[in-house]
Amino acid sequence: MLEVNNIDVYHGNLQALWDVSLEVGEGERVSLIGANGAGKTTIVETVSGLLTPASGSMVFNGVRLDKEPSQRVVRLGVCLVPEERGIFFGMSVLENLELGAFHKKSRKVKDETLESVYGLFPLLKDRSRQVAGTLSGGEQQMLAIGRGLMSKPKLLMLDEPSLGLAPIIVKNIFEVIKQINRSGVSILLVEQNVRIALGLAQRAYIIENGRIIQHGDAKDLLSDEQVKDAYLGTG
Amino acid sequence: MMFGLVAQTFINGITIGAMYGLIAVGLSLTFGVMKILNVAHGEFLMIGGYIAFWLFTRYDIDPLLGLPLVAIALFLFGAVFYKILFSGLVKFHEEIKMKNTLLVAFGLSLIFPQVARWLWTADERGITPFYSGGSFPILGVRIGYVPLAGLIVAVVVILALHLLLTKTYFGKSVRATSENYKAAKLVGINVNRTYLVTFSLGAALAGLAGVLVVMTQAVVPDMGMAWTIKALIVVVLAGIGSVGGAFFAGILLGVIESVSAIFMGPYTVALGMGIFLLILMFRPQGLFGKA
Repeated sequence: MLEVNNIDVYHGNLQALWDVSLEVGEGERVSLIGANGAGKTTIVETVSGLLTPASGSMVFNGVRLDKEPSQRVVRLGVCLVPEERGIFFGMSVLENLELGAFHKKSRKVKDETLESVYGLFPLLKDRSRQVAGTLSGGEQQMLAIGRGLMSKPKLLMLDEPSLGLAPIIVKNIFEVIKQINRSGVSILLVEQNVRIALGLAQRAYIIENGRIIQHGDAKDLLSDEQVKDAYLGTG
Repeated sequence: MMFGLVAQTFINGITIGAMYGLIAVGLSLTFGVMKILNVAHGEFLMIGGYIAFWLFTRYDIDPLLGLPLVAIALFLFGAVFYKILFSGLVKFHEEIKMKNTLLVAFGLSLIFPQVARWLWTADERGITPFYSGGSFPILGVRIGYVPLAGLIVAVVVILALHLLLTKTYFGKSVRATSENYKAAKLVGINVNRTYLVTFSLGAALAGLAGVLVVMTQAVVPDMGMAWTIKALIVVVLAGIGSVGGAFFAGILLGVIESVSAIFMGPYTVALGMGIFLLILMFRPQGLFGKA
């Protein structure tokens, strides 16, 4: 479904990614894990069209993504729920959700999608008139995911959805992510919290200093001695 | 006697303030959305005034009927200049973007007056339609037809802009871009197009203000910078990002200037600058802005 082949990405003159390749299959849950600053966010931002790779290619369902602007990538069905959520604080919850369905195709079915998002997050329905900036962190994360779903994505990329949230809320949100996946949406999850990331994903890639150093089944990685030492703090 | 004078001046201040509000809303919009300070904003007002002057003297089109034509002309004008000069610069990071666009806009504010001198000479130009001297009394205060029309136009335009920004998908995309352009891109908004339309809209608003100015005062090629500064004072007074706030702040400045002119004469201009400094020192987020 999504194929990233050997991309190099720069921030200005600084190279952030070296020869990164990864794959997300239809209906799959995949995680990118690694330390802060390893390049996880850069990968999903590049896929979503915010950054352009200097070399390599990205293909989504047969369409080349690497030169496409972000609004085209969204229309093709790839949506990123960004780090720190990217909520429009001054606008109401409903306006945020409506903006999620910005491109024509999703705008047509806006009302139905809205109902299904309210089904996943009933709280958003109660708060629909409230200004988004007054929501709690967990509610904002729900809104960010809900807004992402409004674009009717085939692949939903989530960047650190657990950031700054209480464990119980993180658990709820990951339950919903699984539910979203069950409805047929592929998931590419970026997480620093390796344990929950590997708990959710079927496969995972480990990023270090802008390179993918390891990948495999989540179960295997969870029991891998090196991974345990480096990321799970059980060594 | 004194009360009558103050009341009359108060009314005059409101009508002048409506023009301040209109010019400021355009500047506030481009600054809020794109983080570009368009110091050539007043030049768009000047050009709008001259276009209305041409429409009136050459084609006998009443300035009030010519308003939509001027708005469309300035919208296209703004779009062309944005595309050629600014679109390449907005891709840069905050500081580089700010500096470079400021330089380009300063350049424009030098070039436009010179071009205006070639086209229209340095003489003052004004428009006096048949109803321009007319007025009617209310409670001992005389209200001129032209200033009243100007006020109504300004209020209608501001209301329309407010509805555009709050009720339409396009308006919401403008506000979203203004708040968080990265998130706006991620929901699928074409941010470059939003920038283009916003800049053009700002130019059109300035052009509309220009029509009101050419009807009530006069236009000269060098007037742009003074209006840019006026707009800047109002924007600082109001705080960034509030359409209604900028309009009310404009009226407030107009009234303060007019009424204080009774007591301070020519020093009212300094009063405006004084307010500018005081606001920056004690309430930098503006009267209606959020901290």
